[in-house]
Amino acid sequence: MMPLYKFNFFGMDASLVIAVIIGIGFGFALERGGFGNARILAAQFYFYNMRVLKVMFTAIVTAMLGLFYFTWIGWLDLSLVYTTDTFLVPQIVGGLILGIGFVIGGYCPGTSVVSAATGRYDGMSFFVGFFFGVFVFGEIFPLIENFYNSTPMGRVLLPEFFGISHGMVVFLVVVMALGAFAAAEWGEKVRFKITGRVKE
Amino acid sequence: MTTLSGTFSKEKTEEKVFAPKPYSNPYIVGVGLGLVLLASFLIMGRGLGASGAVSTVVAVAVEKTAPEHAAKNNFYKEYLGDGTTNPLKDWLVFEVIGVAIGGFLSGSLAHRIKGKVEKGPNVSTRTRLIYAFVGGSLMGFGAKLARGCTSGQALTGGAFLNLGSWAFMMAVFGGGYLFAYFVRRQWL
Amino acid sequence: MKNLLNGLSTPKKLAAIALLLGVLALIIGNSNNRNKISVNANEIALSTINDQDKISVNTLADWLIKGNADFTLVDLRTEKEFNEYNIPTSVNIKMEELLSSNLRRNQKYLFYGSDDIASAQAWFILKSDGYKGVYILKGGMNSWKNQILYPERAAIITSDDSLKFEKIKEVSLHFGGTPGIQISGQTTNTAPTQINVPQVPKLSTPLGTTTKKKKEGC
Repeated sequence: MMPLYKFNFFGMDASLVIAVIIGIGFGFALERGGFGNARILAAQFYFYNMRVLKVMFTAIVTAMLGLFYFTWIGWLDLSLVYTTDTFLVPQIVGGLILGIGFVIGGYCPGTSVVSAATGRYDGMSFFVGFFFGVFVFGEIFPLIENFYNSTPMGRVLLPEFFGISHGMVVFLVVVMALGAFAAAEWGEKVRFKITGRVKE
Repeated sequence: MTTLSGTFSKEKTEEKVFAPKPYSNPYIVGVGLGLVLLASFLIMGRGLGASGAVSTVVAVAVEKTAPEHAAKNNFYKEYLGDGTTNPLKDWLVFEVIGVAIGGFLSGSLAHRIKGKVEKGPNVSTRTRLIYAFVGGSLMGFGAKLARGCTSGQALTGGAFLNLGSWAFMMAVFGGGYLFAYFVRRQWL
Repeated sequence: MKNLLNGLSTPKKLAAIALLLGVLALIIGNSNNRNKISVNANEIALSTINDQDKISVNTLADWLIKGNADFTLVDLRTEKEFNEYNIPTSVNIKMEELLSSNLRRNQKYLFYGSDDIASAQAWFILKSDGYKGVYILKGGMNSWKNQILYPERAAIITSDDSLKFEKIKEVSLHFGGTPGIQISGQTTNTAPTQINVPQVPKLSTPLGTTTKKKKEGC
């Protein structure tokens, strides 16, 4: 029965070893995809290299299909898998700030680690900045604590929110992702024709 | 995980220069990443993350320098546990260490390790490094407000079909695209 | 057709697979439908015969005294009955709330009702829904009252039995009961009084949470 850890197949110390292994897989995939490179990450926002969209949504669709099917055949107990509670407004505001930071800094925390690990100084600078940002947040936390906890909705997933079945949402996300990929491929070709700029 | 063949290295046989290989096909990388994420769900019952590890380290650092201050702060308290185990024995901290190792491994195999600064042609290195720091700080703040970053909320929460995560994801893309115009000098 | 398939690049093949799986998911609808459960009749029959999921009141009393707290004690009766008297550390979940409550498949639960019936029904439903750690308190509240709270011994007994009864008396007093001696023709039907039992530890794992101490974040 999965998740294995929640059914006590192994203990906490083993889970830390697994953390490193999973992390290695994560970091490896990120670097393979070119996400250790700020220019590629930022290119997403200027429409001339849509890698971020392609990798991210492919990953989301893959894992989403996996979650659906493993639950359907009864191997995975979805109720035991952790996911964050929804706090709608702070998450949206946080997302906006994050998006702005993304296009200024050129990384996100995971990719900045990969970037720093491959020798990029800007990745290291970003990572240090990230620590600073978290620290500032922590220090002013008492002031914004109420906002931080506003609009709590508990554990809410898209199917129950929209009142449609899990499978329906899966289907819609797949269709949306494939549509986005088609648009991205077309957009890149058009952009290349216009600017003559190589994709990298 | 495939890489396109490095035709460059074959030509420069005399110099033995290992040119960096081009990046892999994004869709295949995406599937690989998705499988890593799925494995994490199935084995650990949780997804990936990054910002949580930084929060833990910051909380521990604050606790070491000013314990009473940390104890009164509800944010730091969450990351310090109840004192029975070392808070640094945290799944995310170890996972992020793995990310660094994995990134280094992939980079080495593809000859992409190089001490340099990634930036556009129209901006100085110094400016770029400052921007990176500022961007990082904003991200650190935003990530904590949103309870996660792109790895934890967008990827993990996205695959899970979490409402807050999807709202977050759209806000990130929205914020990025809207602000991109103002920093275009840095990249284009 | 074969040429068409071979001509597609890998990403396109992946896209085709994804689309296929997506359509299949749409047809399937809900990945976990709690209204339909599949009963493994053999497993249920076997565990019934083997008595493996039944716990006696004496064992429970023993566990409570020793502070064994790796399970959650669940009282399936009505609120009124629960408030009148409940076994220490138990939580009240009525039968109709059973499936919508936060019971987790990776935790242990010991059910009791007034007698055996409610707990057996809860056991059957949950066992068929994939819960492995479900147990029945044999005899339910009635047994608890008769054996633990108000144990009685015959008026004339042997010295061995007398010693045994001393132990039983201790347990009874610990839980606030009143041990007694059988007097022919009389029955002790006093209402049970809820007494604060300071030595019995509070359950450390509240319902629905795991034992992790640090928050699981990202």
